[in-house]
Parts: sequence; structure tokens; C-alpha cells
Amino acid sequence: MTSPARILLVDDEPSIQRAVIPLLKSRGYEVDSAGTGADALRIVFSHPPDLIVLDLGLPDIEGTEVCRRVREQSTVPIIVLSARGSEADKVAALDLGADDYVTKPFGPEELLARIRVWLRRLLSDERVETGRITIGDLTIDYDRRRLVRGNDEIRLTPKEFELLAFLSRNPDRVLTHRAILKEVWGPNAVDQPEHLWVLVAQLRKKIEPDPSRPRYLISEPWVGYRLATEHDGS
Amino acid sequence: MYLDLLQLGGALAAVAAVTATYSAVLHVSNATTVALSFLLIVLVVSAVSRLWIAVVTSVAAMLCFNFFFLPPVGTFTIADPQNWIALFAFLAVALVASNLSLLARTRADEAMARRDEVARLFDLSRDVLLMTDGQEALSLLARLIARRFDLPYVAICLPRESSGWEVATAGQLSLELDRAQLEMTFAAASRTLEFDAQRRSYVGHRTLDIGGQAVALVPLRLGSKTVGLLASAGRTVDPGTLDALGGVAAIAIERLEFLQERKAAELARQSEELKSALLASLGHDLRTPLTAIRVAATNLQGSWPDERARSEQTDIILAEVERLARLFQNILEMARIDAGAVSTERQWTQPSQIIEAARAQVEHTIGARPVEIAAPPPDVLVRLDPQVTAAAVAHLLENAAQYSPVGTPIDVTATIGDEGLRITVRDHGPGIAASDLPRLFDRFFRGVAAKGRVSGTGMGLAIARGLLAAENGQVWAENCADGGARFTIVVPGEQKKMEESA
Repeated sequence: MTSPARILLVDDEPSIQRAVIPLLKSRGYEVDSAGTGADALRIVFSHPPDLIVLDLGLPDIEGTEVCRRVREQSTVPIIVLSARGSEADKVAALDLGADDYVTKPFGPEELLARIRVWLRRLLSDERVETGRITIGDLTIDYDRRRLVRGNDEIRLTPKEFELLAFLSRNPDRVLTHRAILKEVWGPNAVDQPEHLWVLVAQLRKKIEPDPSRPRYLISEPWVGYRLATEHDGS
Repeated sequence: MYLDLLQLGGALAAVAAVTATYSAVLHVSNATTVALSFLLIVLVVSAVSRLWIAVVTSVAAMLCFNFFFLPPVGTFTIADPQNWIALFAFLAVALVASNLSLLARTRADEAMARRDEVARLFDLSRDVLLMTDGQEALSLLARLIARRFDLPYVAICLPRESSGWEVATAGQLSLELDRAQLEMTFAAASRTLEFDAQRRSYVGHRTLDIGGQAVALVPLRLGSKTVGLLASAGRTVDPGTLDALGGVAAIAIERLEFLQERKAAELARQSEELKSALLASLGHDLRTPLTAIRVAATNLQGSWPDERARSEQTDIILAEVERLARLFQNILEMARIDAGAVSTERQWTQPSQIIEAARAQVEHTIGARPVEIAAPPPDVLVRLDPQVTAAAVAHLLENAAQYSPVGTPIDVTATIGDEGLRITVRDHGPGIAASDLPRLFDRFFRGVAAKGRVSGTGMGLAIARGLLAAENGQVWAENCADGGARFTIVVPGEQKKMEESA
């Protein structure tokens, strides 16, 4: 991408638009804005943005429905804005194709950081899909089902590897508990998150430099997990 | 007693009439005919009257039979021994027949009484099923029992863990029940079976003597559980019926308690709903301004904004702070209304001042929208609380501004009449959906179409109503024939014209 990234901000609150649009522009992004879901969909399909920031509480169409309709035709990253306490909405949006979320009231840096991550991923996605991926000091070899740190192989159980593979194929994306359980254990296990907790704890012991302060396997409370490709230091 | 003598007289007269007719007029001498005729009289008498009258009639008939018809006629002596047998056979048949007839009648009476009691029980059960709960429900139940069973005294006694016995009485008689006796009877009834099959008696029943009145105590039973006692006096009711009555009363009490519990659960659920509605709307209404303020303030910290952008960001912050302040004000007003802490102080006021004050409070929401005001001339005064009234009008103005298209005018009129001050606020928006009208002033109620489209907490109109109620005022809403919604408030208060010199 040589031209500046175009971001579509969808929020029905004029005050949020008036505060966020100049913020994004100040960082060199081009910004479109929409106050309704219908407007948002129109813009997405007529003038595709590089990234969508989507408020879930829209006056006309549910934000989750907007997610679903965008995903039917586009893989554009969607960052959802939603309220703390409405985890169910977030999970629904993520399951319907949103990539990430920021909780209101958010600070500008939080939103900008998420936008940066997703725009960068957009660039890296343009690479040819290979049989291996490197995240931090970990290299995951999908063909040989091996995980290597430096020159040492880290031995993983099949389930551990499946979990890591699923997360690493969606780097930085929040995957809901439900989605992970379905992928790794099958559709019958979606209501048994305890499997996942145990497996995550095992995997952290093996791959995290400090399992008590995870750097790769980041927990998103009540929502799911993400595999962080960059180290925030936080 | 008088009736008995009359019946006896009638019976004896009938015997005399048959005797006279057969001996003097018809000259019947066949003993069988005479005996059967007398027997008929005895049967009729025993069917309609008492046993002793029937017996006296039988003896009188026997004497007449002997004297007038058995030879030798005219004496009490009997010549033919066969006639002795006939005479005593007659007497025996007469006595047995009167006994049987009486027995049948007693049975019939009992059946009637039973039927009567069953009918009363049935009526009572129906009454009980139609009863609604409330403060006086127990007394009402006692009154129903007293009425249905013609009892001059009925008391329902329920043991309460906290406060001893709860007693609800009905009827003209007033008796003081001894709590210790109640306790004893209740304890005994709780231990025993409902019906003692061996002794064919209802156990747990007890009769007390209070001031010369026999008071029957029956346990109120639900299955094998005794929940209380039913006391009745002044009329004897069959123990079986009393027991059944106790059962019906127990069911009624159980039902009342169930209704109360359900009501309490319903109230709890409603308050729970209110709480979550408040939290949901607060959540949204706090988060949005907080997010905008946070982002705008951070923008101001940055070096990028130019002078125009800075002033824009400052505007956002001020506007959102204003919004928060208004939200806060709403919450406070709601709390004051809930606590019954809205104090009013009446004073002479110009109606136009109220409207101006209201408008100033919601200036921010109204913005540049035209507000057409038609108020009485400034020398007309009305006596009411200007602040509370203005606050209520402000909510109506805010509502009108929020729910009608930007740029359309809002018309406000004020008139003073015998009813007090009447203010109408009319918008030129889409009007109110008919389905929303009944709940429009309910707390946290948001119009179906407005939900999501217009940000709001659903508190404004509820607050307006609450504030006006503190002034004995009213508020209502309607749709105008030519479009738009009209809200009207009426606040009672005297009026006067300002003195020229003042």
C-alpha cells in the first residue's frame, strides 16, 4: 500500500465522530464516516475501506448484522467498538467475522494501536502462504507439526499444537472460546470451556518466557484468546 | 310448643271425625276398614309431626276403635278374644309405622341439612376462589364464612412465628379467645389424625366455653399439616361440615399466601427490571460522552490540531460535559422523586418566566431550533412553585427537541384559567405511536421506534410526571390532528392581576 490507508468509522454519535475523525486524520489516515449501518454497508461496497471501526449500537441495523454482511463479501479488518459489560455482543460480533474490539470508553492510543496492528497484518497477509510462520522467537512448522524456538524444538501434544496452529493462522485476532473449542475439540465441546483453560495453561508453560505474564497467548477476559505477534511490553 | 298442641288437636280431631262419621253417619262396622282408616291418620300424623303426638294419636285411635267399634260397642271391654289381638296389633302397627315414618323423615331432614351445608361449602369455595389478596384478605375470608354459614361468630386464628397469634374475626358476636387455649388445641390438633376411623369422630376438634358461648375450634388442615384454627360460635354446625369448612379455609389461606408471594416476586422482578434498565441506559449515556471527552482531550494534548481544530475539540468536551451534567441532574431528580423529597414552595409567578427558565435549562438540546411562545400578558400572575414547574416543562421541551426533526419549530403556549396554569408543548415531528402512549410516562420507557435512533434514558417524562405530582399537577400526551405530538401540563394554582402600582 502506497497511498494512505482508508478507515471507515461507523458510529451514530456525532460527538464521537467529531473527536475520532480528526484524530485518525492527524495520523495520516484517510477517513470516511457513517452514522448508520445502511450508510456503512453502502460505503463498504462502493468505496471499499482498508479497515472498519464499527460501533455495535447503531440506530438502524445491529452492528453484529453489519459485521455479517460485510464478511459475506469482504475480508476487510473490522474493529468493533462496544461497551464494557456487553461481552455477549463482542463475542457475537467476533463470531460473525469481526477481528478485534475496543471497549468504550476507550483512549485514543488504544484504538490507534489496534488499527496499526490490523493495517500491518494487511501488509503481511500479502505474503505468499507458506508452510511455516514465525511469531516472535517461535517458528511454527505446519507441515511437520513442529514448534521451534531458536534451534530447540518445543514438544507439544497434538491438541496443544492444534490450538497453537489455529491461533497462529489468525494472528492478533481475538478468537472466541466457542470458536476455539469448536476448532480444536469439535462442535460438541463448545460448552465446555474448562478443556480450553487447561490446555492454554499447559501451552503457556511450554511457550511463554514467563507463563504468569503471557506475551504470546493473550487472554481476552470473558471473550477468548489471541496470539500476539508483537510484544506490547504491557 | 304451640305448634305441637295445634298438631295434637288436629290429630285428635281427625280421629274424632273418623269415629263420628263411621259410627253415626256411615254405620261402618267392619273392624278392618276402621282400623285401616285410623292407621292412615296415625301415619299422616307421624309423617308431619313429632313422635309423641303420633303415639298419643295412636292410643286415642285405639281407645276409639275399642269403644265405638269393637263389640260390645259403647264399653272398653272386649268380648271376643280375637278382637284383643286385633286391637293390640293395631296399636303395635301404629307405633312401628310412626317410628319408621319419623326415622325416614329424620333422614330426609339430615340429608336436606347436609345438602344445605354442602351448598354453603360450595358457595364458600367459589367465594374463596374469587378472593384477591390484600391487607384485609383474612378478615374477608372470616366474613365470607360467617355469611355463608349464618354464623354470628367466626375467627380464623393463625400462629405467626414473630407475633404470636394472628386472629381475624367476623360476625356480630365478639368473643375473646384465650391464646393459651388456642396454643393447646393447635398443638393437640397438629399431633392427631384428621379422622379417627375407629371412633368415627373428628379428632382435634374442641369446644371451649367463653362467656356462656360454646365456641367450636376446628383445625385448618392442608393434607396432614395443621396451619391454624377456625373458631365458630352461635350456631351448631355438623362436625363433618366444620372439618370440611376448615379444609376450605386452609386452602383459601394457602392461596392468599401464594398470591402474596407471587405479588412480592412480581414486585421484586419489576424493581430488578428497573435496575437493569437504569444500568443499561446509564451505561450507554455515560460511556459515549466519556469516550468523546477522553479522545477530544487527548487530541488537545497533541501538537497536531490547529486553532480551528482545537476549538472544535473544546466544543466537544464542553457539550459532552453538559450532557453528563444533565444526566446527573436527571438521576438526582429521579432519586428525589423516589424519596418523596420534592419540596414545593408556591409563589406568585409570571407564566412566561417559567417557560423562559425551562428553555434556558435545555438550551443545549434545543440548539438553534425555533421555539414559538404564546404566554399571557406579563401582568397576569399564577401562584405555584416556579422551579419545579419549570423543571417539568424543561423535560417536555427536551423531549420535543429530541424526537422531532432538527430545524422544526416547537410551539409552547401558556394559559391561566380556573384549573390553574396550563402549558402545552407541541412539536412537528412524527407524533407518538399509539402503542407507546399508555407507557409514555413510565420510567425508562423508550418509544419502540426511538430506541436506538435517539439517545436517551427514558427518564425525562417520568421525572416530569413525578415533579408535577409533587405540585398536584398533571401531564398527558396526545397526537395533534395535523401531525406532531402535544404534551399538556396543568398545575393548580390561584391567579391574579398585578397591581398597577407594584
